[in-house]
Amino acid sequence: MDFLRAPIAILVVAAVAIAQQRPPHWSYQRVERPPLPSVRNENWSKVPFDRFVLARLEQIGNAPAPAAERAIWLRRTSLDLCGLPPKPESVAAFAADLQDGAFERAADRLLAEPAFGERWAQMWLDLARYADSQGYEKDDLRPDAWRYRDWVISAFGRDLPFDHFTLEQLAGDLLPGPSIDQLVATAFHRQTMTNTEGGTDDEEFRTDAVIDRINTTMSVWMGSTVGCAQCHDHKYDPFSQREFYQLFAFFDQTEDNDQPDEQPTMRAPNSAQMRRTTELQQIAATLREQLRGDKTAIAAFAKTQRERLASAAAAITTRSPWHLLGPLRGASFDDAFDRPRAPELQVQLDEEQEGQRWQEREDFGDGKVHTFGGDNSANYLYRTIQASAAATVVLSVGHDDALRVQWNGREVFAKKSSGAAMPDQELLEVTLKPGNNELLLKVVNGGGIGGFYFDLRASQFGAVIEAALQKPEASCCEADLLTIREAYSRFAGELAPARALLVECERELASLLGPLVPVLRELPKDRARTTRIHLRGSFLNQGDPVSMDVPACFPPLPQDAPKDRLALAKWLVSRDNPLTARVQVNRFWEELFGRGLVVTSEDFGRQGEPPLQRELLDWLSVEFMECGWSVKQLLRTIVLSATYRQSSVALPGMYESDPYNDLLARGASFRLSGETLRDQALAVSGLLSKKLLGPSVMPQQPDGIWGQMYSGLQWQTSAGEDQHRRSIYTLWRRTSPHPAMTTFDAPSREFCVLRRLRTNTPLQALVTWNDPQFFECAEALAQRTLRECPGDDAAKIAHMLQLVLQRAPSPAELQRMLLFVSIERERLGSKDSVLPWTLCANVLLNLDEFVTKG
Amino acid sequence: MDLPNDLLNTTRRRFLGSSGLAFGSMALGSLLRGDSKRPFAPKVKHVIYLHMEGAPPPLDMWDPKPVLQKYDGQLCPDEFLAKARFAFIKGHPKLLGTKWGFSKHGPSGADVVELLPHLGQVMSDVMVVKSMQTDQFNHAPAEFFLFTGSPRIGRPSMGAWASYGLGSDNHNLPGFVVLVSGNLPSAGKSVWGSGFLPSLHQGVQLRSVGDPVLYLKDPPSVDRATRRRTLDAMSDLNRLHGEADPNPEIEARIAQYELAYRMQMSVPEAVDIWSEPKEVHELYGTEQGKVSLANNCLLARRLVERGVRFVQIYDSGWDIHGTSPGDDLMTQLPKKCRELDRPLAGLITDLRRRGLLDETLVIWGGEFGRTPMNEARDGSKFLGRDHHPHCFTILMAGAAVKRGAVVGATDDLGYQVTDTPVPVHDLQATILHLLGADHERLTYRFQGRDFRLTDVAGHVRGELLA
Repeated sequence: MDFLRAPIAILVVAAVAIAQQRPPHWSYQRVERPPLPSVRNENWSKVPFDRFVLARLEQIGNAPAPAAERAIWLRRTSLDLCGLPPKPESVAAFAADLQDGAFERAADRLLAEPAFGERWAQMWLDLARYADSQGYEKDDLRPDAWRYRDWVISAFGRDLPFDHFTLEQLAGDLLPGPSIDQLVATAFHRQTMTNTEGGTDDEEFRTDAVIDRINTTMSVWMGSTVGCAQCHDHKYDPFSQREFYQLFAFFDQTEDNDQPDEQPTMRAPNSAQMRRTTELQQIAATLREQLRGDKTAIAAFAKTQRERLASAAAAITTRSPWHLLGPLRGASFDDAFDRPRAPELQVQLDEEQEGQRWQEREDFGDGKVHTFGGDNSANYLYRTIQASAAATVVLSVGHDDALRVQWNGREVFAKKSSGAAMPDQELLEVTLKPGNNELLLKVVNGGGIGGFYFDLRASQFGAVIEAALQKPEASCCEADLLTIREAYSRFAGELAPARALLVECERELASLLGPLVPVLRELPKDRARTTRIHLRGSFLNQGDPVSMDVPACFPPLPQDAPKDRLALAKWLVSRDNPLTARVQVNRFWEELFGRGLVVTSEDFGRQGEPPLQRELLDWLSVEFMECGWSVKQLLRTIVLSATYRQSSVALPGMYESDPYNDLLARGASFRLSGETLRDQALAVSGLLSKKLLGPSVMPQQPDGIWGQMYSGLQWQTSAGEDQHRRSIYTLWRRTSPHPAMTTFDAPSREFCVLRRLRTNTPLQALVTWNDPQFFECAEALAQRTLRECPGDDAAKIAHMLQLVLQRAPSPAELQRMLLFVSIERERLGSKDSVLPWTLCANVLLNLDEFVTKG
Repeated sequence: MDLPNDLLNTTRRRFLGSSGLAFGSMALGSLLRGDSKRPFAPKVKHVIYLHMEGAPPPLDMWDPKPVLQKYDGQLCPDEFLAKARFAFIKGHPKLLGTKWGFSKHGPSGADVVELLPHLGQVMSDVMVVKSMQTDQFNHAPAEFFLFTGSPRIGRPSMGAWASYGLGSDNHNLPGFVVLVSGNLPSAGKSVWGSGFLPSLHQGVQLRSVGDPVLYLKDPPSVDRATRRRTLDAMSDLNRLHGEADPNPEIEARIAQYELAYRMQMSVPEAVDIWSEPKEVHELYGTEQGKVSLANNCLLARRLVERGVRFVQIYDSGWDIHGTSPGDDLMTQLPKKCRELDRPLAGLITDLRRRGLLDETLVIWGGEFGRTPMNEARDGSKFLGRDHHPHCFTILMAGAAVKRGAVVGATDDLGYQVTDTPVPVHDLQATILHLLGADHERLTYRFQGRDFRLTDVAGHVRGELLA
């Protein structure tokens, strides 16, 4: 074709045709295991994939760096696998183990540490945008969010294969007979934010949450940025707007819709809690059986009580009518309640008291509620009760609002409360003496109508039970018998221990309900939503309906399978999915080497970087899938590789010729994350708590960090060892994560972040210098050194450096720190013998070697 | 600032390791081009953006409406309510005229409410833009939209873009500083976050309680001389280690700590407003021992004087709905105007006197407007206005914008813009333009897409420029 003369339209058609014939983008092609290349140096490789790295180096006439010193490998591997430096005993054990397989044994020990789960959960939680709060304006806490965090820690800890890890988080609720843990896993997609700001549209924010779920799923599993297609067809990658909403449809059917209480939720006890619950339920059943009693016991109880009630009733001869004085106003409700007025000192019925006279109130009959008024006022009620013999009786009093009671001149009850007056609200046992007894009530009303109720009872049983017991046995109906049986259970003296135990049981059962976790739950079919394209990305502009499907550039869903979230999850981890394994392997590689084999780990599309070493990536991806998606197996292979074991010190000229280590001709070296830095400082100082899992904690934080507009939430520093737990347990509030973390580039967790940038700013130096948490570590490290090392200054410095960097100091380093310590000691004299060592620790905890992984 | 992607990626590590250190380093510009050539000459070097959190009511401050006064208390005409979405108004609301008098100031006769006598005196230096528009009517999304160009969380703030694109003139102070009086904004700290930009560029909140910058103060047992000695020991040990490893990052680490050490002195010096003479304090109406807008206005001047690129001031308490006695337009607006009047007038006067107004852009405004109707939520007897995205007023001052002008207009009820609408993205484009950056070229590649402050919109508005 003569291009110069061809009409434009034909050129366009031709261009499209050429584009369509182009092979698919590299990352959309099925992953196949490439053959291992041949290499000249057959001795270097430790694992098969090393050959790819070596072949490449040999091809351009380069050589790999020498292996790092064993101690350096151990520190690197500990930080990588567990996020903590090696313990002194592990350092010693590894140094002493010179047999074949020492590296394998050390790696296996680290893989088995509980810290392994914590470290990898740390990575996953950025992807899961996990936080302990709802986000948006109010950003209230999600107090039980940690239950999902613990699920992630345990999943990595037990090496849950990544395909199952995927199915449970994306569609655990759709698995057959899901376990509690599989349902908890679905909280992955309930980490989306909830907007409780006044005046917001729930549908708008539900839509945002669904969009976030698609973007997160496609980014985390497939390294694909589909977000652009929310508003229009993707400019670079083959995703149309229709395809975006076909993906949207998978996630559009869950019940949740931006409710403040996060519905739907479920109670998620852990296995220990469930075991204990079963135990306690059995104990409680036995106790209830015991409390039910048998006929003889109940009859005996009824007989005794009947006699007792009769004698108490007989003892009462006369009740005088009530006398009322009031209302007496107070300066406030508290004042009216707290300040004793004249009648409380002495009742003088015939005198004017507090400027008022007592009124006899014949109308205040017993067993009824009577009312009176007066805001913030006290009303005094006085009467006498005559008795023929001594007896124990019970005053039944209701009060609106607060109440004080004097019996025979002594205060026997006081309660500052508010609310309506009711029968049997208070049951006060008093001793009736023969002759005259005086009763004074002080009822304090806050506002509106106040009032009281009074009756005299022979027992604590209350009106209903007393009435049943006071009937002659023969005239008791079925209901009365039931009432008596209930009275037996509640009041029989011999059952007191059983009752106390049952209360204890029930209290513990309530505490074992387990955390309340937001979960995914499909809408019933009759309430299914119709998903439509949102024109220009706006939920107010609904276009054509679409149904669930995956983008056409990828392998299709199986024909026969039902289309739902579970089908999507299975598709993500199918052998034919070209991206999932590559993206995961690349992520683990990035965590260990500081940089992925695909540098743009968040984008494997056309706009992303091509892989630095595609064959290496593909080989590892197939290996990952064929080893049953075992993360531990994958990491084990990498840390034992010759590639990983290289020294991070570059050979001369390498920083210039290969500044970013594209060739993998040296070990990785980069600044540790904020979390690892803090955990490491806690660990080497000996402060680190060994506690695993559980509710989030609040370590020290400067005042005034929280202070959101419509929220009274306060940061309250945790007590004891909870201040010194690993950073993964630090409470994460989206609008205000701990500043020591964000200063080190931790994201807010408001949305999924696939790759933390790594910056080095002066603000970070201020954290590790001055944050009380870090200075506390310096103090503890000084104390630990003084405690553990009785030797001279040189020995102490060597001991401290060994703890911090797991190596011995060089003579020059030793000399420099000896000089430092001696100057500080001279300056401080005898004033402070620890401070020179604290300052020494402060220096070591800020060294480049400490804050980086080398 | 659109760098080829491969260049960006291949320089990332080097950048993060070395140039990423200093507040003053100009993102990638100075690194790659040797100097700070910008697309065009900057008109201003600094921005002071005073944000009145909650949104002040233009109809009671800058935009009086005789027609609205006439129909005060009457039912709102139906045509305004069709398809309208409100945050809180329900049913058929009534119109609410302003309760205060206005007088005209400056060459264009700008209307200023009687509650702002001092500001009235400086209107010859101020441009009033009555025709701002947003498309968000809840606080948090509207604040995100205004400051990050997107109503959703996660994008870099305007100040972060400025710091990223243009660096700072003072290497010992952050390029983007945030000052807060009252509560934090609804959108939280993310509204001055760096989003996906390096965290170096996030706004640094100078706090009024405790250390002005977090962890700035040495622990009690460490004095300056001791800090110096620890720093020297640390640097020596780092260098000793570096002898075996030619890694350039070790020198970078040493420089990072030296900078921190210098900042420990430069920040307390900058924030010490009490070293200013008495007449300056009187000009602003500062209050010792308090957190106030006045104190922050004076501090903002000291910061731009020292080369800080972008100062963001937040003042809360402007969300006056009329739902309770503490939220009554009749009492709360006069109170907020008192807190605003002298400080802002003082700031403009002070900047002018020092010649700083020639190189500084001052902006004042809220995140949206407020309705011409009384909200009367749940039948409240207190007066107040609901959120209103269709028009709002902002003030701009500085040699780069029209002095003493009034731009734009709204209809008789102050419901819609009738002249020169200025959408939020246009304001952002114009601010970047004045700073010497092209809003379409100041981009950052993230998750496969080039992001910019103005998203996919925005035009530089000549009508606003001097």
